[in-house]
Amino acid sequence: MANIAAEERGLRYGTKLGIAMSAAPARPLLKPPRIDGMAGALISHLSRAMTIKGDLESDGEVVIHGNVTGQVCADRLVVSVGGYMEGDIIARDVRIEGRLSGRIFALNVTLDAAAEVSGRIFHNTITVAKGARIDARMPWRPPSYFETLEQLPEART
Amino acid sequence: MSVFNRNEKDAGNNMTGGEKPRDTMPAAVAPAKPVQASVQPIGTSEAPKSIGVSVISKALRITGQLESTEDIRIDGEVDGDIHGVSVTVGPGAKVKGSVYGQTVELAGTIEGKIEAKKVVLTSTAHMAGDVIHQDIRIESGAYIDGHCRPGTNKVDNRPAEVKKIPAAAS
Repeated sequence: MANIAAEERGLRYGTKLGIAMSAAPARPLLKPPRIDGMAGALISHLSRAMTIKGDLESDGEVVIHGNVTGQVCADRLVVSVGGYMEGDIIARDVRIEGRLSGRIFALNVTLDAAAEVSGRIFHNTITVAKGARIDARMPWRPPSYFETLEQLPEART
Repeated sequence: MSVFNRNEKDAGNNMTGGEKPRDTMPAAVAPAKPVQASVQPIGTSEAPKSIGVSVISKALRITGQLESTEDIRIDGEVDGDIHGVSVTVGPGAKVKGSVYGQTVELAGTIEGKIEAKKVVLTSTAHMAGDVIHQDIRIESGAYIDGHCRPGTNKVDNRPAEVKKIPAAAS
């Protein structure tokens, strides 16, 4: 029952996306930087006990302590210690202290010593702490690449 | 880092003779600061005060299913089902889907269903859909478009599946 509902939602969302893509020009995935300085006040915490299957979209900060499967678009994203994320991340700043399986599209990437990352890291600047376990390609891209990113490249395994 | 600190300290000790270098030091360091900030934009995420509570801030929009064995507070937008223990939908928040929990407190908008032991609809609540409850409180001003009916005891509020978070290899 729940699955059917989820599928229906997915379809609805898909059609919505389809309309948006055909009618209006595609919107860049990366959020414009906040100028009101509110980003710090708009932090979302997803606790350890939280599991999300789906897409997240935020123009503030998202901190993941739990499990997320899906795509995340945010201004800043932190996958905290013990957090696990599976899917693509599009953000201005990304900090990984937990585990990630998927791709990162971010201007500034920080991988903490406890980080475990597999996938691809598209970045403009990157910091990797000693001890981080990384099984990923890390292509560099100019800032304009992220600002004009409208559709993610197809995932190649 | 420790190397740098030590150097700074040593430099400080060596410079104790004159005040002048002290004055010039900050001026020299200041222009370098923005560069450092851009390289390390996010400070170490400090441990949240209440780790059990998940907060969906008003800047966040979720399309999909949320499941938690702890409390959830929603101030943003959720398009999907929510399974929690104590779920609070804050004023201005919007949920399209069913909300399951032990306690559900609504001050925002839900389009869907509430299924909980204890339901509170505050004065700013906007509920479009059925409410299945064992104990309900409705404040004056709340909007309801749907049936309120007492649920049977077999209502299982626990999340269907709780994935154990594998401990990160230390």
